[in-house]
Amino acid sequence: MIRYLIGRLAGVVLILFAVCLFTYLIFFQLSPDPAVMICGKTCTEERIGAIREALGLDRPFLSQFGAFLGGIFAGRDYGSGATLVHCPAPCLGYSFQTDESVWSMITARLPVSATLAVGAAVLWLLVGVAAGLLSAVRQGTWWDRGAMALALGGISVPNYVLALVLQYVLVVKLEWLPFPSDVAFSDDPARWFQSYLMPWMVLAAGYACLYARLTRTQVIETLSENFLRTARAKGLSRPLVLRRHALRPALTPVTTLFGMDFAGLLGGALITETVFGLGGIGKLAADSIAKNDQPVIMAVTLLAAFFVVVGNVVVDLVYTALDPRVRIR
Amino acid sequence: MSARAGLLVVEDLTVTLPTTRGPVDVVKGVSFTVDRDDTLGIVGESGSGKSMTSLAIMGLLPRGATATGSVRLDGEELLGRPDRELRRIRGDGISMVFQDPLSSLNPYYTVGLQIEEAYRAHRGGSRKAARAVAVEALTQVGIADAERRAGHYPHQFSGGQRQRVMIATALVCSPSLLIADEPTTALDVTVQAQILRLLAGLQERTGTGMLFITHDLAVVSSLARRILVMREGDPVEYGEAERIFSDPHHPYTRALLESVPRIDDDAEVWL
Repeated sequence: MIRYLIGRLAGVVLILFAVCLFTYLIFFQLSPDPAVMICGKTCTEERIGAIREALGLDRPFLSQFGAFLGGIFAGRDYGSGATLVHCPAPCLGYSFQTDESVWSMITARLPVSATLAVGAAVLWLLVGVAAGLLSAVRQGTWWDRGAMALALGGISVPNYVLALVLQYVLVVKLEWLPFPSDVAFSDDPARWFQSYLMPWMVLAAGYACLYARLTRTQVIETLSENFLRTARAKGLSRPLVLRRHALRPALTPVTTLFGMDFAGLLGGALITETVFGLGGIGKLAADSIAKNDQPVIMAVTLLAAFFVVVGNVVVDLVYTALDPRVRIR
Repeated sequence: MSARAGLLVVEDLTVTLPTTRGPVDVVKGVSFTVDRDDTLGIVGESGSGKSMTSLAIMGLLPRGATATGSVRLDGEELLGRPDRELRRIRGDGISMVFQDPLSSLNPYYTVGLQIEEAYRAHRGGSRKAARAVAVEALTQVGIADAERRAGHYPHQFSGGQRQRVMIATALVCSPSLLIADEPTTALDVTVQAQILRLLAGLQERTGTGMLFITHDLAVVSSLARRILVMREGDPVEYGEAERIFSDPHHPYTRALLESVPRIDDDAEVWL
């Protein structure tokens, strides 16, 4: 077990290193010269040279990349002499646009994305899995057909369309909800909940539809398993047959998918955050890409990769706990 | 009621399955009797309706299927009873052992738990008490070190051991009738013989009536006192095993008998 974990963690480190390397290569080496972008329109060659030196862009690629990596673990210094700026670890550099520390930009926005992801996940698990279960148990009924048709439709509706429709109906017409805004939970819990409710619904809708269909398929497949017939032949009650013998095998694959989806969302929900103007990681990514703010793009990409890779390891560990046939040696 | 009146009496059992081209009778007017301490063999190729017959007795027919006629256990009619009442009989009055022991056991739970739940469904009691019964049942079917093995999962057992676990599960409530639906088909030949000996031995000890379903006349020859031959849902021939082996009346039975390979057959070289 310990050896397995060490191996997996080594893999995580290796993948993150590769992601770092490629992102760095793409955004610092292959995209327009950052120094020119920072310098602006009224710019001289000397000024560009000075900026390049201050950012360490005049050094060879590997040395630059080494300094970037070193900054994450030990912090680094930019410039020299009077213009020296120390960036404490974990240092992801400074935004080209606002000169803000990228690390503090990320940490300020992560709670928004995490709140969005957790709330949406609760919502889509409750609605999606419950609807899928009901459909499976009532296979072929009007409920089943209606729910599955709705789910198929729901998967095909893009997030931003649903967001606009919901805003129109719930905020403008019915005035049930305020327009979403960044309200801290500690300031006004009720208002916080109202603000997040619509983004949660929008983000959860597609997943809920997908999970309803997946859960239904999984449960129906499990219901036709031979061991279910055995369970009934033993004289177990129907609720016990469903709860003990059908649910666990059916929901194990759903758990796997959930882990991956949730990890992906921690890296930011680009569309939902942008539509509702929520300042999360996704919005940060969209803004920084629009402005070619390379240190921020770099950090956001790394963060998303981090969540996906770590999420993958967690999913594998959970799977071994759920399915006794999968055991770590 | 005397034993001779029949533990299980099936009369004119017809099972109808819905298909896209209308209802189809997959079992057509089958009648037979199983006594206590007695074994009836139902023999037929796949699609002959033998498994549907057993599922109809258990009340476990697939959705949409209907059964008419009469199935009586100890004089009590089972057909048409609500599922809630049939549940009390399943696993207690009648138990079943299925063909493929690997897929018939839930891979997510220990075999101990799967035997325990069969016991507790009918006798109740604590898990601890049920575990003791499960360990005893495993010992009865010849699983060594039963106490430790009860904590193992199905995939940690061999094919023959899994079928032993299934048999232990089926017998944990001492049912009066055991339905064995092709219990040896998925097993190696040497293991087949062991399982057949085990079933015969257990029956001798407990007096359980047995309905043994197989496509293999050779398998049933050593076990059954009477045999019912089925083909495409029809009962083709029903009678004492000895008579059927020595003097088969129906051409289909004769064909089945001739299809059994014998050790004294003239060796033909197909090279």
